[in-house]
Amino acid sequence: MTVVEQTGAPKTTTPGRPRRRPSPLGSKWTPYLFLAPAALFILVFQAVPLVQEVYLSFTRTRLLNPTRSEWVGLDNFNRIFGDPEFHRTLLITVVYVITCVVVAIGAGLAVALLLNKKFRGRGVARALVTVPWAAPGIAVALIATWMLNAQYGIVNRFLDAVGLGVPGGAILDSSRYALPAVLATTIWQLFPFTSVVLLSALQSVPQDLNEAATVDGAGRWATFRAVTWQVIKPTVGLLALLMTIWSLRRFELIWLMTKGGPVGATETLVIDLYSQAFDSKELGSAAAIGMVGVVISLIVIIGSRLVARAVEKGEVR
Amino acid sequence: MGNKRAHFGIARATCALGLVATLLTGCGSDGDSGDGVTKLTFAASTFGDPGRGPLLTKWLDEFNQSQTKVQVSAAAVPYPTFGQTVLTQMGSGKGPDLVRFDMPEFEAASDAGLIAPLDKVIDASKYDLLKQPDQFMVHDGVRHGVIFEASNYAMFYNADLIPTPPTTYEQFTSTAKSLTKGDVFGLAFRQTEAEEAGVWQDIFNYVYGFGGAWSDGKNLTINSPENLKGLQAFKDLYDANVIPRGADAATFRRMFAEGKVGMELNNGGYVTATRGQNAKLNFNVAPIPFPVRKQGAILAPIVINEASEGKDEAGTFIKWALEPQNQVKLQEILGASSVATTTQRSAEALKATPFLPVFDGLTETSLPQIVLGFEAKTPDIRKVVVQNVVAALQGKADLKSALDRAQQQASELVR
Repeated sequence: MTVVEQTGAPKTTTPGRPRRRPSPLGSKWTPYLFLAPAALFILVFQAVPLVQEVYLSFTRTRLLNPTRSEWVGLDNFNRIFGDPEFHRTLLITVVYVITCVVVAIGAGLAVALLLNKKFRGRGVARALVTVPWAAPGIAVALIATWMLNAQYGIVNRFLDAVGLGVPGGAILDSSRYALPAVLATTIWQLFPFTSVVLLSALQSVPQDLNEAATVDGAGRWATFRAVTWQVIKPTVGLLALLMTIWSLRRFELIWLMTKGGPVGATETLVIDLYSQAFDSKELGSAAAIGMVGVVISLIVIIGSRLVARAVEKGEVR
Repeated sequence: MGNKRAHFGIARATCALGLVATLLTGCGSDGDSGDGVTKLTFAASTFGDPGRGPLLTKWLDEFNQSQTKVQVSAAAVPYPTFGQTVLTQMGSGKGPDLVRFDMPEFEAASDAGLIAPLDKVIDASKYDLLKQPDQFMVHDGVRHGVIFEASNYAMFYNADLIPTPPTTYEQFTSTAKSLTKGDVFGLAFRQTEAEEAGVWQDIFNYVYGFGGAWSDGKNLTINSPENLKGLQAFKDLYDANVIPRGADAATFRRMFAEGKVGMELNNGGYVTATRGQNAKLNFNVAPIPFPVRKQGAILAPIVINEASEGKDEAGTFIKWALEPQNQVKLQEILGASSVATTTQRSAEALKATPFLPVFDGLTETSLPQIVLGFEAKTPDIRKVVVQNVVAALQGKADLKSALDRAQQQASELVR
């Protein structure tokens, strides 16, 4: 006779056979066991370096003698906040992040709306759109640099042909055009991700609600605002948060294209941090800049949580 | 009972993780092969040079074949990140045993105590060392390096485009202007912040060639009238559009090899690479035609890492490298560069490269591209100066204000 216990996980016992020992998966320790590797990873690779960074930011530490630190209190913070070039770096970071987030989500939404319609070759178009996102950042930066090369670059040839050529062709070496060029490359790589995520959100919009809105005489814009936007809004919020954090941290693309130049025109926080640490070899100042980045990230995360909560409560529409 | 088993499972998992971690930490190497042979690494960006790298590796092989207790292997680190990579390693007490540095990084490493003194390793009086470059190897009476390569800057010109090289700055400017047509440029130099070290090397020739200097040995003189004059000449050429603006060194050197650039100021180390890009290029070399015969030189010392466990063995390699026959071989590999000691050029080398004496004749008037009196701070001063000069080129400030600003910022750095 087989007895099936209905409480907890189903268990099967067979008379005459030895009882199977209970699975440890049912233990109260099981969740901790599963969480342990991730917790250990975060502790070793995130928490320990973060604590060390906090300590470094209050010291004068040189890269060439990293074991010899001198406690300087708030000196590093006073110095960076008293430096007008750091204010410019903060401004460029804000411009870079906001442009990346707004344009990448805007372009991604436009493409997602297009790809959500039925047309011939839609599957191929959906696959092609993901290519820039799939390309490695380093390859994208190098190809963009070549395309923007003052002597051989195809972009200059094109701009010259349509009468919009930059004098000398040196787009990446112009303090006026370098940031737009870096932004264009970044957004080109980012928008496929936002479009794919938003496309999946659009596919969850109930079709009957759209039809009902149309029957009620709502126009396209009103339908989008009243139905589609309400469904995809949480996804857009999540994307905005992710894009903000990623844009704050983006290094390789900017570094490979301009190294933060010319004349600091593309110097964001992480580029400044790297320059301080490895060019100027001042680990203390670099850590202080890193702490500013951490604080900005925390503000963004907490701010987005507060906004999300307010939306859930209906305080914000 | 179940809990005990679960605890046991967790303990097993923890042990397994610990074992993996222990195994991973044991993956380092101490450089000793265990058979009594000390294995050393020698890091130099030149090992990656297309023309010279393989020949230098063969030269190392000759050393290895001559030894039973020491073996040296090449570590090629790309030039743009060489200083940063190796200094970071050395700062953390690791890194290669032997390093070929450029001067700014050599000075920074020396100041930080990362380089082993060489006085007990080699007896310098035994060798006929070239005095002018060798004087920069000694700090406060302590020898920290030996010249591995010294490359003087001169004017490379395309002999098909320029049959007679200019001998004055006015001729130099007019030649550059007259050659610039279509996709051919009269001149090329580095002018982008992305090539900070390269811009510094290029503007150095203009500053010193017009009688200027970055310091008087005690104070910085970045905004002196002579420096302003030299850098104004540099900016005038930039503004005259006689250079391929925005082109990095790799691009404009390829253009030079293709006959699309008439002149460039470059060091002797680049002769082999130019031939490597286009063996048929008819180019020649002359002294830089600026008012004062003073120009930069790439001095590249070989040093021993203070953290190396094989300092004596590394010294064995340096002594071998300084032997006359090995210096001759090294000089032939390096092309138009000089080595540590006075060495005669072979008849074959002079036949293949008739302008070698031009480079050799510049040794006494060549200076390393460091800020004298502030050697260890050179990378920091370089950054400030280049940023401000590029800002002036970009029209963000007039040149005088840019140099005044650089003077102020650099003075704060060295205070």
